[in-house]
Amino acid sequence: MSLKSALATFVGKSSYVVLHDILRRGGTSLPGKLATKIDPEVMTTLAEKYDVILITGTNGKTLTTTLTTRVLREQFPDVITNPSGSNMMQGITGTMLTAKVTGKSHRPIALLEVDEANVEEVARQLKPMAFVLTNIFRDQLDRFGEIYTTYDKILKGIRLFPEATVIANADSPIFMRGDLPNPKVYYGFNHLPADGDMKAPHNTDGVLSPTDDTVLHYHFMTFGNQGDYFSVSDDFKRPELDYAVTKINEMTPRYSNFDIDGETYQIEIGGMYNIYNALAAYTVGRFLGVTTQQIHHAFESNAQIFGRQEAVNVNGKEVTIVLIKNPVGANQVIDMMKTDDQPFSLIALLNANYADGIDTSWIWDTDFESLKDSGMQAIATGGERYKDLYVRVKMAGYGEHPVYQDLKQIVKAIDEMPTKRVYIAATYTAMLQLRAQLAQQGFIKTGMGE
Amino acid sequence: MAAEYVLHTAHLYGDLMNTYGDYGNIVAMRFYASQIGVDVDVELISLGDEFDDKKYDFVLFGGGQDYEEQIVAEDLKFKADAIKRYIESDGPLLGVCGGFQLLGHYFLMADGTRVEGISVMDHYTLNQQHSRFIGNVLIKDEVNGNEYRGFENHQGRTFLGEGERPLGKVLQGKGNNGEDGGEGLVYRNVYGTYFHGPIFTRNGNLALHVLQTALERKYPEVNWAEKMADIKPEAF
Ligand SMILES: [Zn+2]
Repeated sequence: MSLKSALATFVGKSSYVVLHDILRRGGTSLPGKLATKIDPEVMTTLAEKYDVILITGTNGKTLTTTLTTRVLREQFPDVITNPSGSNMMQGITGTMLTAKVTGKSHRPIALLEVDEANVEEVARQLKPMAFVLTNIFRDQLDRFGEIYTTYDKILKGIRLFPEATVIANADSPIFMRGDLPNPKVYYGFNHLPADGDMKAPHNTDGVLSPTDDTVLHYHFMTFGNQGDYFSVSDDFKRPELDYAVTKINEMTPRYSNFDIDGETYQIEIGGMYNIYNALAAYTVGRFLGVTTQQIHHAFESNAQIFGRQEAVNVNGKEVTIVLIKNPVGANQVIDMMKTDDQPFSLIALLNANYADGIDTSWIWDTDFESLKDSGMQAIATGGERYKDLYVRVKMAGYGEHPVYQDLKQIVKAIDEMPTKRVYIAATYTAMLQLRAQLAQQGFIKTGMGE
Repeated sequence: MAAEYVLHTAHLYGDLMNTYGDYGNIVAMRFYASQIGVDVDVELISLGDEFDDKKYDFVLFGGGQDYEEQIVAEDLKFKADAIKRYIESDGPLLGVCGGFQLLGHYFLMADGTRVEGISVMDHYTLNQQHSRFIGNVLIKDEVNGNEYRGFENHQGRTFLGEGERPLGKVLQGKGNNGEDGGEGLVYRNVYGTYFHGPIFTRNGNLALHVLQTALERKYPEVNWAEKMADIKPEAF
């Protein structure tokens, strides 16, 4: 390590100590800023001793990273990772600066969730040995423009390291673009017979074949643009899967039970998207030599990870809070609720601040209509953009319904729901406000689970 | 039981051009139509499919991503004559963003690539290299005095041509090009706009106007104005 790097590391680490231990603030971005100022190359120096794996994509990064960390820790003594939300360069620098390793392993692993737009910069400095790609859906287009632009940003990072392994969700056709020379590991779903022939529904993005831009057909679809696709104009099709979900045994809002490569696993959270997250974690584990037995063990202890879907008791009601941020994710949440065997109610909350995405038009691509065939007994809307959501739900066929402009009324809203089970689906800042309210009234401990 | 009146809708390239909830326009149309016992069915017309201009009572042509728009532009050439016939026979059509651009002469993508439209109408679209018009828009329809609200998100700058008038005068936001104070277009029964929101969901008065136009064209013997008088338009 050069003197400059050593100094940068020292300054970064000590500012972390001051912020974290003395001022008791979470601050992971300031140490990074200070250290990078002294030595812009400090990250490269720090990362040299790690095997770096970057996880990126639109949805599921955080959960995939958390679950993969658990899986890898079964086998490797030193796996460092970044806290959720710290997935841009500054946050990652902070993570690397303050990481503690036991020194037991000769190559510690840095498993890092990276924001799609930051992949190139992070990769350039950290020189990863593998990239994990989860999916690309439409998300906050006011930020990035379009899904192909998002993927191009990721590709730029991967192209810097043609020897790095690309571990990709093969069910997502966009990842077959770009003709990468890298070694590849593919995961996906093989739970249904490959004999159907269907096209994606009208509001799906990214369904063009990478060979000739015709609309892809699918033998079966899981959700969004994902599934077992093939071209009708040439021989392009989904590649062979290295690791696959081979059977779905049971899906409920509380847990999912499924087979990967013929062995049964269970995760204590609903939603098909979470099975994808688990499959990604499994794949990275197998890629690095973790045994299926160890993966079983890691999955068995997964209940605590899924803080985002914990049930909160509010005056005797079982309230489940879920984050919604784009149509694919929201439709998955809807599908998850539909697997509930108990009657339930839904309170949907919409804000349109920067962190939520300032364009609310995505609510029209969200299939509220499909809840008519479920156990849903009542629906209410609210949040800063309550008018948009109110009309959306009204036009979905639910007519006039309760609307809560002010989240101070949230407990009242919950109380008034006719069922014991209540789901609250909220955009990011609406969720923060909601949790602050529930915390203030003593139903949960902190504003946001850490 | 089948309804007495049915509107057949074509959603042009709905699998490739529906990036910002444009389908909501059909949801709104159906919502109002159902209040007067009219069914609205939807057919997706995509790459390689024929567009039969005699068959439809309303056409939605939504916006897409740059990449998809180039693919659609190639295919659209084969539907151009039928679309022209539909428009010239006063067929109601809503074109949003890319769908609106492609009906004109051409548009330039952010990087300057020129994509040919089908020139069934006389507008054209230039680009902005490093910025987009993003934000809330409020316009006033100078013919009927109605105000329309929406959200715009586009890099294209559209300039209207012969026989086209803007849908409204910009009171807030950028509109077609940020220069001439117009937003969207009206030509016969074609409505073009950069509004997402989508426009019919947030502006019930416009949705009702287009719905009535479509019904009067298909069922001229019925007094639709009277039937629709009690519908309350949503606006937000
Ligand atoms: Zn647009």
